[in-house]
Amino acid sequence: MKIGIPRALLYYYYYPFFETFFKELGCEVVLSEETNAKIISDGCKVTVSELCVPIKIFNGHVVSLMNKNVDYIFVPRFISIGKEWYCPKFIGLGEIVKYSIDSMKDKMLIVELKNKTDIPDRIEDYMPLAEKLNVTKAQLKNALKKAKISFLKCRKLSLQGYTIPEAYSILKGKEVPPPMQKADLTIGLMGYVNNVYDDFVSMSAVKKLREMGVKVITFDMLDENIIKLDKSKGKQPFWTFARKVYNAANYLINNVEIDGIIHLTAFACGPDSVIGKMMELECGEKDIPFMTIRIDEHTGESHVQTRFEAFTDMLKMRKGAK
Amino acid sequence: MRVYLGIDIGSVSTNVIAIDENTNVVFARYIRTNGQPINSVKQGLRELSVQALSDGYEVSAVGVTGSGRQMIGLMVGADVVKNEITAHAAATVHFYPDVQTIFEIGGQDSKIIIVKDKIVTDFSMNTVCAAGTGSFLDHQAERLNIPIEQFGDLALTAENTVRIAGRCTVFAESDMIAKQQYGYSKAEIIKGLCDALVRNYLNNLGRGKVLQPPFVFQGGVAANKGIIRAFEEQVGHEIIIPKYFGVMGAIGVALSAKSQVEASGQPTNFKGFDCIELDFVPKSFECSGCSNACEVIKVIINGEVAAMWGDKCGKWSSSV
Repeated sequence: MKIGIPRALLYYYYYPFFETFFKELGCEVVLSEETNAKIISDGCKVTVSELCVPIKIFNGHVVSLMNKNVDYIFVPRFISIGKEWYCPKFIGLGEIVKYSIDSMKDKMLIVELKNKTDIPDRIEDYMPLAEKLNVTKAQLKNALKKAKISFLKCRKLSLQGYTIPEAYSILKGKEVPPPMQKADLTIGLMGYVNNVYDDFVSMSAVKKLREMGVKVITFDMLDENIIKLDKSKGKQPFWTFARKVYNAANYLINNVEIDGIIHLTAFACGPDSVIGKMMELECGEKDIPFMTIRIDEHTGESHVQTRFEAFTDMLKMRKGAK
Repeated sequence: MRVYLGIDIGSVSTNVIAIDENTNVVFARYIRTNGQPINSVKQGLRELSVQALSDGYEVSAVGVTGSGRQMIGLMVGADVVKNEITAHAAATVHFYPDVQTIFEIGGQDSKIIIVKDKIVTDFSMNTVCAAGTGSFLDHQAERLNIPIEQFGDLALTAENTVRIAGRCTVFAESDMIAKQQYGYSKAEIIKGLCDALVRNYLNNLGRGKVLQPPFVFQGGVAANKGIIRAFEEQVGHEIIIPKYFGVMGAIGVALSAKSQVEASGQPTNFKGFDCIELDFVPKSFECSGCSNACEVIKVIINGEVAAMWGDKCGKWSSSV
């Protein structure tokens, strides 16, 4: 059986998990190609304009997979981790896809994930797949166990300072240069994995910054223990990944010698309108430079380049003056 | 005499300046770009070359900034290619070492730069909207049939104030039509527009920032007296307008080029005034290699492809 996985949203966090999971169940995994202009324009065409770019891109990838002759397209519904919720658009993803792309109704493979931890391996959540994929509970259990191992392998690489795309390459046996240790500047690039690591959307933000001599730290390079939900820190952001990003920024501001924080956010992102301001205020208190880069489907590359250049110039001058 | 050139290629104007060893401005031209950056730069350099010949200038460094910096940098052989924010701040700090807030409003860009002890500590640039920039004024001036040069002076003659929604040029326009129908004079409406632009600019870019004097206001829009007065009213403080307010970006990048060449001791990359005569043609095409359909820019100098960029994969840019 061929399962299509859209290269969008939490592909950039959980792909090793789901790839292993489906392969263990004897399925073939078909991944959509990297985001490109056509995928974005297809996504925008089928999606209502009010939704954020990441969702439009997800739909674009779904459209692209429909031409790849797959049996099902995997559309996970991430609901909660413990008592914490995902962004409402993740919770409603199945409906968004279904009502955007008419022919998708019978092609979607939906699981409803209510994890206890960062690892989505609760067997109950996957039971509805047993019939569709013609597998037993024991097979599902075994596949989840293997999936967890792949996910943790990837997390380990992230903690060493590899970006997620680099970690995926390493898992596929490719050579990747080791993470930057020393650099002129260290910047926390705060944003969701699907914005930071989709090179088309972020205009290769990580690469651009590294070329300017910057060591880039993202939330996924920090241990989950550091950025976990912690009510002792006061009221925490309501949504899982928003909490991760916000706590990571907070940790970097207070515990790591960083020169600045860049918030990479998609136009019309609800959670970010809250945590963006919170991060800006935290940075202000500690006198750490903060910049927002807002991206949408029309963003021009030269604007992003100018802002990165000006920001790093400023940080270098500040550093030189100290 | 050694001189250092600065070129700022913006959407609306192209500025060419030269400073001498003691950072005095010896040449400054503000040229409308009119969508033809290469011709504008050539025109500026041609005028400069005449003066250079009669006054015996020797070009020792060239810096380029503005949205067209990459291409023009290639054409003239730039020593320094810098972004507009860094360039503007460098010039302002040079003339006003104690400046704390720089307002810069250009044709399509506007920025606020916060400076402390001559170092940029914060900045913001307009994002998705042009309502706080020169293009907004240009457009409204045209609509009211008033030359933009007289716009500011007319605003100063207004006796009453009228509030115009400045959130967006489209709404401003419908608001203006309504106010005209209510019987407000042109002068009052223009003053209302100036107030709206500044209000918008301060709301969008100054949000969350502490703006401290001395305030320096530069960029093409600083020629507009109505805007200057609106700024003074809204920040409640005197605003400094630099003598060379329209070409500060070019001066800043000339200063950077000067210090870079002095620090490295290397000769300049400047191709000489002969570069005006080069047959310099940029061309762009849509690559059909994959679904990205990148817009690739190809620069042809005297019939030979000298550089290519704009492709995501590097297929074209690495081929030169």
